[in-house]
Amino acid sequence: MATSGTNFYDLYRHGSLGVTLTDALDDLISAERIDPQLAIKVLTQFDRIVAESLQDRVKARLTFKGSLDTYRFCDEVWTFLIKNVTFKMDNGQNSVHADKVKIVSCSAKRTDEK
Amino acid sequence: MSNTTVGGVYEHIIQEVINAVRVDFEENGVDDGVLEELKKGWQHKLSQLNVAQFPWDPKPEPPPPAPPVQASAPPPAPAQQPQQQPPSNYAQATLSPQASAQPVSLPGGSHPNGNGVAIKPDPGMLKNDPVIKQEPGLANAQGPAGHSVYNNTANPGRGMAAQRAAQALESQYGPRAAASINAIHMGSQLNTAHQPQQGQRLGQAPQQINQQQMSQQQMNQQQMSQQQMNHQYRQGVMQQRPQPQQGPHPGTSNGLPAAQVDGSSDGFEGILMQRGPDGRPVEMGRVEIDSIIHAQIAARAKQMEGGGLMLPLKEATRHRGTASKKSGTGNPSQVDGPDDDFKDEDLDDDAINSDLDDPDDDKDDDEDDDDSMGHMMLCMYDKVQRVKNKWKCTLKDGVLTVNGREYVFHKATGEYEW
Repeated sequence: MATSGTNFYDLYRHGSLGVTLTDALDDLISAERIDPQLAIKVLTQFDRIVAESLQDRVKARLTFKGSLDTYRFCDEVWTFLIKNVTFKMDNGQNSVHADKVKIVSCSAKRTDEK
Repeated sequence: MSNTTVGGVYEHIIQEVINAVRVDFEENGVDDGVLEELKKGWQHKLSQLNVAQFPWDPKPEPPPPAPPVQASAPPPAPAQQPQQQPPSNYAQATLSPQASAQPVSLPGGSHPNGNGVAIKPDPGMLKNDPVIKQEPGLANAQGPAGHSVYNNTANPGRGMAAQRAAQALESQYGPRAAASINAIHMGSQLNTAHQPQQGQRLGQAPQQINQQQMSQQQMNQQQMSQQQMNHQYRQGVMQQRPQPQQGPHPGTSNGLPAAQVDGSSDGFEGILMQRGPDGRPVEMGRVEIDSIIHAQIAARAKQMEGGGLMLPLKEATRHRGTASKKSGTGNPSQVDGPDDDFKDEDLDDDAINSDLDDPDDDKDDDEDDDDSMGHMMLCMYDKVQRVKNKWKCTLKDGVLTVNGREYVFHKATGEYEW
């Protein structure tokens, strides 16, 4: 879901960066140092900044191959569960293998259009 | 893609977020130390995950970059990056000018405008802002957020209604109206919600005043009237200042329409806390203004979250509570209460595109195969194609967590067979 008012997904909150931020905010909330509303603001900013930073500051490319176990397309979100995946970095110097990887992917167009 | 870039990118993100929310923290009156604490806590937790080598790991704390003094004035920044203007800055720009004039530290001066520092009030926000200074009725009418300060704003409304009625009487009838003025005062201080309105109505035609009340107060009136009139005059001056828009209901019309609107729609909860024990509307002028400002901020916050979509439980229940309390009084507002709620939900439905609701659900679904949790890619897709059982997809702007390491990529292509 794109939080309305902003055009950014909160997808990345589920990544390590987002989870740790949420944790840290939770700590502050439970210690009553900050208001939950403020935490939501922080997360909203986070959504935006992560999206922008990944867009602007990351140049790396990646290819991967594997066998698709499950696929799902719902509400413009693709979810893949891929098994026996091999990720190859662009420069080919190293590759990473994983038994199972879940990919959650939102439409890139949405953020641009709306 | 490499794991080494992750640390730098993450640090950049952290710094950006911290800078972007600094204004919000200031606005909420939260100490800068808490923000620093948040940053440290965040970095610490991230380090514990050990998904990458972070710049702050070797040294305890990355030295905060020298704060270049930018955005030192409220005037809008060039609109070249409208999308990047954080929605939160408007409030600072308009609500606390001294805060916006304060230099904000930026990490590296390379993004002068993209850092969420430049103050550019959103056009939609600006026109709403003056409401802050105005009367509580408006604040209440502006949406569900108004309920968060319902109790506070409702009461001054009543108080002012009484004031207005009293003033009107005074101006029309002079000392003769002292009895009705007293009645208004007594009514609003002693009785429950409906009686002040009665008092005002009686005040409209002083000769119809309830005889009982008259006789009760007759003794006090003589001494009190003079003093009270002075008192009220002062109050009137104070009360009028925060609500210039009340102009359309001048005192000569007895203030009756406005008084009734305020009374009937707002009066129910307010009495309990402020009017009763306190009884002195003088202080309400300030309290009321504070609460209106608070309402504004809360409303903004909610706007930003998608109309209450991510409302904390506390707020949500308070809202419900208000509605049910209203319905308990058996008034027309009974209709309003539930209606608001429904509207709220409708709004929410509209606000959610529910795109990302599904990943949440999915995650729950898939959480039985637990190990997939550690291996996850979050990204955007440009293209997903399938020919028979062969899939090809183009992904971008992703974060990949695999085998305990984290990677970021700008672009990824995947090929896989089903």
